[in-house]
Amino acid sequence: MPKRLAALVLVAFPLAAAAAPESYTLDPYHTYPNFTIEHLGVSTMYGRFNKTSGKFSLDRTARSGALDLTVETASIDTGDNDRGSRARSRDEHLRAADFFNAAEFPRITYKSTKVIFTGDNPSQVEGSLTLLGVTKPLQLTVERFKCNPAQGAVKERCGGNATGRIKRSDFGMKAGIPSIGDDIALIISFEGLKD
Amino acid sequence: MSNFLGSEPFYAGIAPLLVAVAIAAMLARTRYAWLAVAAAYATMILLSTGYAVTPLTVARKIALLGLATPLVGVAVDALPLRSRTVAPILAVGAGLVSLWVFSTVLSQREEASRLVAGAGVAVFVTLLALLVLQQRQDGLRSGAAGLGMGLAVGVAGFLSASIGALFSGVAIAAGCGGVLLVQVLLARPLAAGFSGALPIGLLCALIAAGTLLLAQLPWHALPLLLLVPAATLLPAPGRGHPIVRATVLAAYALVAASAPILAAWHATRGSVS
Repeated sequence: MPKRLAALVLVAFPLAAAAAPESYTLDPYHTYPNFTIEHLGVSTMYGRFNKTSGKFSLDRTARSGALDLTVETASIDTGDNDRGSRARSRDEHLRAADFFNAAEFPRITYKSTKVIFTGDNPSQVEGSLTLLGVTKPLQLTVERFKCNPAQGAVKERCGGNATGRIKRSDFGMKAGIPSIGDDIALIISFEGLKD
Repeated sequence: MSNFLGSEPFYAGIAPLLVAVAIAAMLARTRYAWLAVAAAYATMILLSTGYAVTPLTVARKIALLGLATPLVGVAVDALPLRSRTVAPILAVGAGLVSLWVFSTVLSQREEASRLVAGAGVAVFVTLLALLVLQQRQDGLRSGAAGLGMGLAVGVAGFLSASIGALFSGVAIAAGCGGVLLVQVLLARPLAAGFSGALPIGLLCALIAAGTLLLAQLPWHALPLLLLVPAATLLPAPGRGHPIVRATVLAAYALVAASAPILAAWHATRGSVS
């Protein structure tokens, strides 16, 4: 009887291990929250945050998961960080209190509350975005989620693009509206390495 | 027309000026005419960002103090206090309040930086408030000081990447300019009292310190801003129509205001982030 029990445990253990949530740490060199915003109703400006950290987990059996993202506010980069002959660059102004207020709110965070699967992959993430000390729900749509299996010393890598939209005025960032748009489109490119 | 009413020059400058002139004229026979400056600042806040308390950011704390400080001033004016220590006590209180205003920013700094920045800001706010409070019995000096400080804080703030400081400074300057105008039109000085002088000193000091901590105002612009209320303490013609005295005092203030503005302008030249 004990031998049968041991055999059952040996057979069942790998299955249990496979069903456990898998945890990934975001790769800071391949994870960037990008955004677009209208300027004077004429063109679309692009920007991104250069420093992001966080983790996500997936349980494909239970079809659940989680995502935690922390963005360093001062790492904003819209491609204009050289003052030239001006009093300030656009990125300097974006870091100041009129916009992202990096000195008072050095981090922007996103915490998921629910991950929705389509097939074996996550397709939607519901969660809360905290920006300028204001927390609002934000739904992200995950596109082309894919995992590359581990190869030798190289860990399994999963990633994709997550998109969403916010109104910056909802977070109290009202400077420049309507000349500078209120609607912001988010495109978060992310990759995580399995822990 | 609706475009103009929603424009930044209207809600930062013209509307506060009109409100200040109207309220100062209405209250000219009372000791509370200078509440017009707080009303001008509140008008700018209402038309731009609106009032909110959560989250209680630095900007929102300053906006709320813009409402609360005049009430403190009214209460102090109403008390039968004649002691010379009231103004210094209020000035020190203003310095301590600045620590609360900037606590969320200071708490994120290393200990040494936190101590230096916190002490520096508190001392600056105390000194500026004290200099303005010393002129509370002379409405023309108070008005000139507020006009100069508002413009200095606003223009230096704009050069230091803060549109919010520009609007706030211009609104205070418009408010003080409006009360100056009423005094000139009535040919009668209106003492600012604590209800007028305390909000002017505290708001200008907090906006300048906020531009230092949250934007890019160079630190040496703060001591240079002290030159503005110091300049309006200089001798001015004591006789004749108030317009002469107001013009001389405003000229003192505007010349002194150029110092912090030039400091902010110089800090932006040639450096690359």
